[in-house]
Amino acid sequence: MTQPAAFTAEVFQNQYLPAGGQIVDAVVTVTASGSGLRASGDAPSAAEVIMVDCSGSMADPSTKMSEAKKACAVAIDTLRDGVAFAVIAGRHDARMVYPPAIDLAAANPLTRQAAKDAVTRLTASGGTAIGTWLSMANELFGRSPAEVKHAIMLTDGRNQHETAEQLAATLAACEGRFICDSRGVGADWVANELRQVASTLLGSADGLPDPAALPEEFQSMTRNAMGKAVADAALRVWTPAGSVVRFVKQVFPQVEDLTGRRVEVSARIGEYPTGAWGAESRDYHLSVQVPAGGVGEELLAARVSLVAGGAPMAQSLVLATWTDDTALSTKINQRVAHYTGQAELASVIQEGLAARDAGDVPTATAKLGRAVQLAEESGHSDTAKLLGKVVDVIDAPTGTVRLKPKVAGVDAELANVRSVKTIRVKKSEEAS
Amino acid sequence: MRCPHCDTQVQDTDRYCEACGYDLVAGGEPVEAAPDERPGRWLSSARAAQACEGCGGTEFGEEGYCDGCGRRRGTGREHSELDLEVIAAASDIGHRHRHNEDAVGIGLLPGIAVGVVCDGVSSSDRPDTASYAAVDAAVPALLDALTDEPSDAQRALGLAAGAAQAAAALAAGTAPGPNPPSSTFVAAVVTLDSVTVGWVGDSRAYWLPDPLPPDAPTAAARKPGAGTVGLAPECLTTDDNVAGRLAAAAGTKATAEHPDGPSGALVRWLGADAGDTAPHLLTVRPTGPGRVLVCSDGLFRYRPDPADLAAATPAGTPLEVARALVELALAAGGEDNISVAVLPFPCPDLRSPQS
Repeated sequence: MTQPAAFTAEVFQNQYLPAGGQIVDAVVTVTASGSGLRASGDAPSAAEVIMVDCSGSMADPSTKMSEAKKACAVAIDTLRDGVAFAVIAGRHDARMVYPPAIDLAAANPLTRQAAKDAVTRLTASGGTAIGTWLSMANELFGRSPAEVKHAIMLTDGRNQHETAEQLAATLAACEGRFICDSRGVGADWVANELRQVASTLLGSADGLPDPAALPEEFQSMTRNAMGKAVADAALRVWTPAGSVVRFVKQVFPQVEDLTGRRVEVSARIGEYPTGAWGAESRDYHLSVQVPAGGVGEELLAARVSLVAGGAPMAQSLVLATWTDDTALSTKINQRVAHYTGQAELASVIQEGLAARDAGDVPTATAKLGRAVQLAEESGHSDTAKLLGKVVDVIDAPTGTVRLKPKVAGVDAELANVRSVKTIRVKKSEEAS
Repeated sequence: MRCPHCDTQVQDTDRYCEACGYDLVAGGEPVEAAPDERPGRWLSSARAAQACEGCGGTEFGEEGYCDGCGRRRGTGREHSELDLEVIAAASDIGHRHRHNEDAVGIGLLPGIAVGVVCDGVSSSDRPDTASYAAVDAAVPALLDALTDEPSDAQRALGLAAGAAQAAAALAAGTAPGPNPPSSTFVAAVVTLDSVTVGWVGDSRAYWLPDPLPPDAPTAAARKPGAGTVGLAPECLTTDDNVAGRLAAAAGTKATAEHPDGPSGALVRWLGADAGDTAPHLLTVRPTGPGRVLVCSDGLFRYRPDPADLAAATPAGTPLEVARALVELALAAGGEDNISVAVLPFPCPDLRSPQS
């Protein structure tokens, strides 16, 4: 017998509050593991839709198109037998590449070959309207009973043949229907658009300046999707009477504010969507305001569980104990502090880059300086490196920087699209 | 906001009205009109473990936190504090026993306060099932009987002891062993002008008069007469054990020491194997204000003499007094479970505007 997916939920917090204290912060690490997570016999049914940008700019340079074709072929080869799949060519509209009809095909050696053949015939011409691609993907997924529905969206440029409102409306229609990873290739994609798609559809966003990286990236995304063992899980949060959930954020592997996506289950319980789970580990930062208790009182400030198919898979408790011992109450849990910093890092990068685009040099310098400081403090070297292409760092520990006069557009977009990626506290650095 | 039923000021976050118990969340009919609702208010240590101290909720997650307000479930049987403000009680497991086999309950009607203590007999099986069932049966039975006939406390105590005996006997289940669950029983009814006690076994009720104010004209102003208690602390009950019987036969009232030896053996108790379970009854009319303590031997073994107990009982709110007495017994060794209910005399009349 195969082992079912096993989830664990671990809480990191300082449960001690000073007299009158009301804010309880905790980081909950949810980890999915177990042999059942990888056993194909146990895997949930899956559907995969690949949207590949075929706009005119994909021919410039031509490697974008050729690497995209290779990447599609690799992704198709990574599909398990029986997975329902389709490939869509995206321009100012969406066209089926494979299968020819507006439908999904079951993966087998014949359909894989036919799909790869169809992909090789793709040509670059026309514009970009991502919303139309997503709409078609949504329609295709609507025809499938599959449990895990995953899409890959590749674009090389700005979403210029539809309005931002149109894209937002399409995303709203797709939300909760499928997961989508968004990728930008080359130098002209827009980080905010990629993040918007990935964030709404619970996927990841990234940019690949070098088209040669596409095949490996597509394989990795497809393999990930094939490894999903639990199709649709939600973070269920119970909080006591009189309390307010200040926020619920995923903070690892990337920052995703889930606060506004609460679905009320009952007066005390809300659920926040987390999408599908493979063998992976994610961290959530929960902040609850509770009614102040008396010294010595103990309160259950939150009960956090991961729920799939209506059944709780793992549960943990967030506690509050009021004390007059300031040595206890003033301690800040290191993980909470770390992720508070990582979340701030993501927002100051985004705000700093936006200010820079708007020509607001003082704000951009202050925000990006703070970002450099936070990246340095937390040891986030990838982000520090990206920031180093946007600003000249004079003194990292104090966040003293100067905006670079000339920045390659793609460097700023990369810093933006990866701003939400976080790192974990190194175990060795963590105090008990 | 104000309670829609009794117009008392209540907090927005309250689940129930502190004064009348009206369900502020569910609302609906006033309590009295509800068919199953008993008159008055009451609390019991047997119930304490079942209701959240924070919000009164009764649903708890398996980790022991209230499903409503998140507070940790009361330690309940190990330590409980019952507070109806004008009367209060406390119970504690003590230092030596593995279970708290004492149960205590208090209840209030307009102008009438009741307190009940049942001490599970350690030599019987599952004694706590008898004592808890007895208290939970006796307090509502007392309140019911006193609602019907407020002036007949002895009748009420008789009915309550009967209810307690029935409940204690039922605790034995369908196949009582040789030592079915057994318990003592002591209850006090304090009104505006009298104190009535009823008991089976060796738990006690004490009368502790308040010290005279320094400007009182003379002690003689509160002259005791027949059927009264006056200025001196007294034990109102006579232990239902061999020593108590002998003392009673000799006409000496206070058998101060509670003997642990053979002469301390119980001769009467409540339970499936109990014979005579009619309570001893005594009504007194205090000549001045004071307090009635209803307690188990876990407390009075350390201060058996009424004067010593009075000296050791501090001033304060009933809850403070109950707590202090439990602390005293714990500090003295806490050999047994400790339970005490504190009922001021005269019973504060909640209907009168002065109180």
